[in-house]
Amino acid sequence: MRGRLLALLALSGLLLAAGMQQRYDSTINYFSERSAFVSLPAGKTLKALAFGYHNLAADLLFIWSIQFYSTYYISNRFDFLERVYDTITDITPQYKEPYVIGSLIMAMEARDIPMALRLLDKGSLRNPEEYMFDQEAGFYCYKYLKDYARAEQYYNRAAAKPGAPAFIKRMNAHLVYLRNDPKMAYQMWLDIYRHAGDILTKDSATNHLYQIKAEAELPQLQAKVAEFRAKFRRLPASLSELAVVGMIREVPRDFDGNEYVYDAQSGKVTAQRIFRWKKR
Amino acid sequence: MKASVKGIVINTFRESARNKMFYLLVFFGILFALSSKVVSFLTLGDAMKVLKDTGLAAINFFCVLIAIFTGINLVFKEIEKKTVFNILSKPVSRDEFIVGKFLGLALTMLTALGAMSAIFFVFVALSGGGFDWGILLYFCMLGLELLVIVAISLLFSSFTTPILSFIFTVSLYLIGHVMWTFNEFKALLRVPAWKALIQVLYYLLPNLDKFNIKNEVVLGTALNPWTMLFSILYALAYIAALLALTVLIFRKREFQ
Repeated sequence: MRGRLLALLALSGLLLAAGMQQRYDSTINYFSERSAFVSLPAGKTLKALAFGYHNLAADLLFIWSIQFYSTYYISNRFDFLERVYDTITDITPQYKEPYVIGSLIMAMEARDIPMALRLLDKGSLRNPEEYMFDQEAGFYCYKYLKDYARAEQYYNRAAAKPGAPAFIKRMNAHLVYLRNDPKMAYQMWLDIYRHAGDILTKDSATNHLYQIKAEAELPQLQAKVAEFRAKFRRLPASLSELAVVGMIREVPRDFDGNEYVYDAQSGKVTAQRIFRWKKR
Repeated sequence: MKASVKGIVINTFRESARNKMFYLLVFFGILFALSSKVVSFLTLGDAMKVLKDTGLAAINFFCVLIAIFTGINLVFKEIEKKTVFNILSKPVSRDEFIVGKFLGLALTMLTALGAMSAIFFVFVALSGGGFDWGILLYFCMLGLELLVIVAISLLFSSFTTPILSFIFTVSLYLIGHVMWTFNEFKALLRVPAWKALIQVLYYLLPNLDKFNIKNEVVLGTALNPWTMLFSILYALAYIAALLALTVLIFRKREFQ
C-alpha cells in the first residue's frame, strides 16, 4: 500500500514537473533575439587569463564563433561580431583562419564589407609575409564595393608577397582594365604573357590581350570607315582600301595576327573572337 | 652518482609510479590528447592546428597536475610517516636526500611525459600531420618547465603542508605564465619604489611562459635558437637555485 502510494507520488511529481516545464516554455521564446554575450574580455586580458593556454582559448573561441554565427535564428548575432574576432586575433595574431573566416562572416552574413576589410587589414599587418589577407580584401573590394582602384592596391600588395599564386597578378591586370586604363592593363598582360609558365596563364593572357587590343583598334577603324564614306560617298570595299587612300598607314591586325572582319555591305568592323569581359 | 642518492632516486620513482593518482592522470592526459581529434572536427580551415593545440594543451595540463600532486607530498609524507628518520639515520645527508627526491620525481615526470608525447607524436602522424619534429621540441621545453615546477613543489613540500604547498605551487605556476604582463604593469607605475619592487619580482618569480612554444610549433613560425638556449640555461639556473634553497630550509628543519 505504502509502495503504491510512493509510486503514485513519484508519477504525479513527474507529471507535475512536465506540466511546469511546458508552462515555463510558453513564457520563453527560444527563437527570439537574445543576449548571447555576458562578457568577453579584451584579447590581451583573455591571453593573460589563459595562463599559457591562450592557443587553446583562441581555438575554443573560434570554434564557438563558427557555431554561433551559423545559428541563423538569433537575429542579433552580429552585435559583437568585430569584437569577437578582434579578441581571437589578439590572442593569437598568427592564427590565420580567424581572419579569413571572420571576414567571410562579416562580408557574406553580416553584409559589412568595411568591417571585413578592417579585420583583413589587421591580419595583413600582423602577418606581413602572408598574401592571403590582401587577396581576400582585394576580392571584396572588386566584387562587392566595385572599388577597382582599392582592389588593385590590395592585389598589388598580395602579388608582391612570397608564395602569391599567379592568378593574383592576372586579377590585378584585369582590375586595371576594369578601371579603364587599357594601356597599363595591356602592358601588365603582356608581362604575364611573356613570363607565363603554364598554358592556362598564357591562354588567359592571350584572351585579355586580344580583347584590349581589339577594343582600342576597332573604334579607330570604324571611325576611318565613316570618314571614308563621308569623303567618297561609298563604303570601302575592304579595309586595305583605307590604306590605299592614305587614311591609315597599314591595316592593323588583331593579337592573333589575323585581319579584323569587315562587312562591306554594312561597313561594320568586328573582331574574329567574341569578347569575354564587359566593363561595368 | 653516489649510491645513496641513486637509492633515493629509484625509491622515489617507484613510490611515485605506484601511486594510482599518477596512472589516473597519465590516462586522462592521453585520453584528452586523443580526443583533440573530435574538437578538430568542429573547426573550419586548419583542423590539424586545432588538433595539435588541444592535444598539447591536454598533455601540458595533466603533466603539470602530476608534477604538482606528486611533488607536494614528496617530502611531507616522509616526515609525516617518520620514514625520514630511517633514511637520515643511514649515511645519507639531508642534501643528498633532497637531491635524490628531486631526481626521482624528475624521472617520474619525464617518464610520464615521454609516454604521453610518444603516443601523441604517433597520433599526429596517423592523423595526417606527418612526423612533426617541432612537437618533440615542444615536449623538451615542457619537460624543462615541469622540472621547474617539481623543484617549486619540492621546496614548499619541505617546510609546509600539502594543501599549502598545492596553493603556493599553483599560484606560482599561474603567475609564471603571466610574467609578460609585469613589464607592461611596470610601465604604468609612476612611483620608482613600486617600479623597483615589480622589477625584483619579475626576476625573482619563475618565468614559465618562456617554455611555452606551442604557438611557434603549431603555426610553424621560426624559433630563435638563442632564445631557446637562454630558456634552457634559465631553467637549469632556476632549478639549481630552488634546490639550494630547499636544501637550506631542510637542513635547518627539526623533526619531532
